Amino acid sequence: MTFISPLFFLFISLVISINYFLPHRFRYVFILISSILFVGFYNIESLAAVILFSFFNYVLAKYIRNNKWLYLLGIIVNSAAIVMFNYFSTSSNGLIFSFTLINFQIDKFILALGLSFYSLQNIAYITEVYYNRLQPESTICKYFLYNMFFPKFISGPIILPGEFIPQIENNIITNDKLIRGFQLLLLGIFKKMVIADRIAPGVSSVFDYHSNYSGLTVLTASYLFTIQLYFDFSGYTNMALGISEMLGYNLKDNFNFPLRSSSVSEFWRRWHISLISWFTNYIYYPVVFRLRYYKKGAPLVGIFLTFFISMIWHGIGLTFLAWAVCHTVYLGFESLTRKSRAVLSDRFNNPFYKIVCVFIVFNLVCFSNVFFRSDSFETAIHLIKNIFSGFIPDSFLTGLINPIAVGGHQTDEFNIFITILLLSVFLIFERRIYKAALSEKINLKYIVLCVLLIMIFGVFNSGTRFIYMQF
Amino acid sequence: MLNTLERLQKVFRRVFDNDKLVINPKTSAKDINMWDSISHMELISEVEAEFKIVFSFDQVMEFNNAGDMLTVIELLLPNS
Repeated sequence: MTFISPLFFLFISLVISINYFLPHRFRYVFILISSILFVGFYNIESLAAVILFSFFNYVLAKYIRNNKWLYLLGIIVNSAAIVMFNYFSTSSNGLIFSFTLINFQIDKFILALGLSFYSLQNIAYITEVYYNRLQPESTICKYFLYNMFFPKFISGPIILPGEFIPQIENNIITNDKLIRGFQLLLLGIFKKMVIADRIAPGVSSVFDYHSNYSGLTVLTASYLFTIQLYFDFSGYTNMALGISEMLGYNLKDNFNFPLRSSSVSEFWRRWHISLISWFTNYIYYPVVFRLRYYKKGAPLVGIFLTFFISMIWHGIGLTFLAWAVCHTVYLGFESLTRKSRAVLSDRFNNPFYKIVCVFIVFNLVCFSNVFFRSDSFETAIHLIKNIFSGFIPDSFLTGLINPIAVGGHQTDEFNIFITILLLSVFLIFERRIYKAALSEKINLKYIVLCVLLIMIFGVFNSGTRFIYMQF
Repeated sequence: MLNTLERLQKVFRRVFDNDKLVINPKTSAKDINMWDSISHMELISEVEAEFKIVFSFDQVMEFNNAGDMLTVIELLLPNS
């Protein structure tokens, strides 16, 4: 049951309708039961994992205050879960044990869906309680709901307990929330089905058969992958936010137009915001605060450690290490040249300078994402080398358009032009579209346009999962 | 004799390399382009050096604007 399957739409229609008519005191229990069904539907191992980890952290938090050893135990257990999740997801030697009565697979348990997302939430929870910034939650069902709330279970956004648990008590569903939630849901479906899934085959054809392509074709595919990643993940987030809003919950948005960033540090303030806030609050600031008297050295160590841990979270391997090194270098450079860049920015304070900066940042991000997307470090290096050989293809049709269009038929070529057109129009009017989606009054023009575009241009049979489900 | 706000402004000007920077208690990261998570800790250590005080981590995490910083500085100053 992925977020774009018919079964999921039936599921959310029923949950949203029943929840709306239920008396307030029963709502959170009903959403908890729905979330248990949602998680259990994927596999029983995921359900077992989330129940076990939630229970462990719930009990631990009761005794953790000012107890350094218990806090350390909590950090080790939750961090080990993330490391094991990523080790097993990159290893082909998963353990499989079958029991007589129930077929329980240890590798699936370790690979439990959403494990690394709620493990980060659990670390945040025990840290806040340990440092006396938060009272431990007294109702176990509320803590379970915090971890299992189905719209955010698979890929976040990561939310701190103090931001979510109070909403259980103050849960109010208004018509405004229903309208805004529905409009956001449509925006998410549009981004995923009309843009991300239409781009995906072309990106795969170049990255999976990298030895066949060079120059402009590889460069275009690497640009398209970053765009695919953005539309896929922000589409998922819009859907998660929309569904939550219709259930009476507010989650933080994960994206703030990141492709318009004019520096890499600005990009990281606008991309996957909830994860970056987590890393900033629980890794970067504690490290840099302790090292602050080392002046320029402190942020560099902090950036490296943050991206190193982010690498472990995304996946253990050379490709993710290279991705982390890229961003450490980018941010380190920006940190050391902060003042001279500010002088430049003041001197060339015009739209052209801003566009050049946005273009450079986009290219830097795309470069690092070649490592992020490639199945091995060698593939990534091969792709990067290929960009600089035979840059202009002999024939634009067979060398560039056909690989991106996938197929080589006229309909495929037409389709890719439609995709680029839709993508360009969306990016130009992105802020206005987002404003329309967030409007609290029914915006019929927006709804009709979204539905029509999804029905006409949406990819219905791809069966593709959201990219961030793997983390 | 400079008051606390003026001394704090002097530190801001030095860290953000802007001699014309004027701050008030409501000044936040939104008002100063270069005030991000990377420059924030440099600012903290410079403020500590200027006022000869030591912030706790929890105090630093609560700073949302220059006013929050001023309140804690005045609390930590020996003569307060």
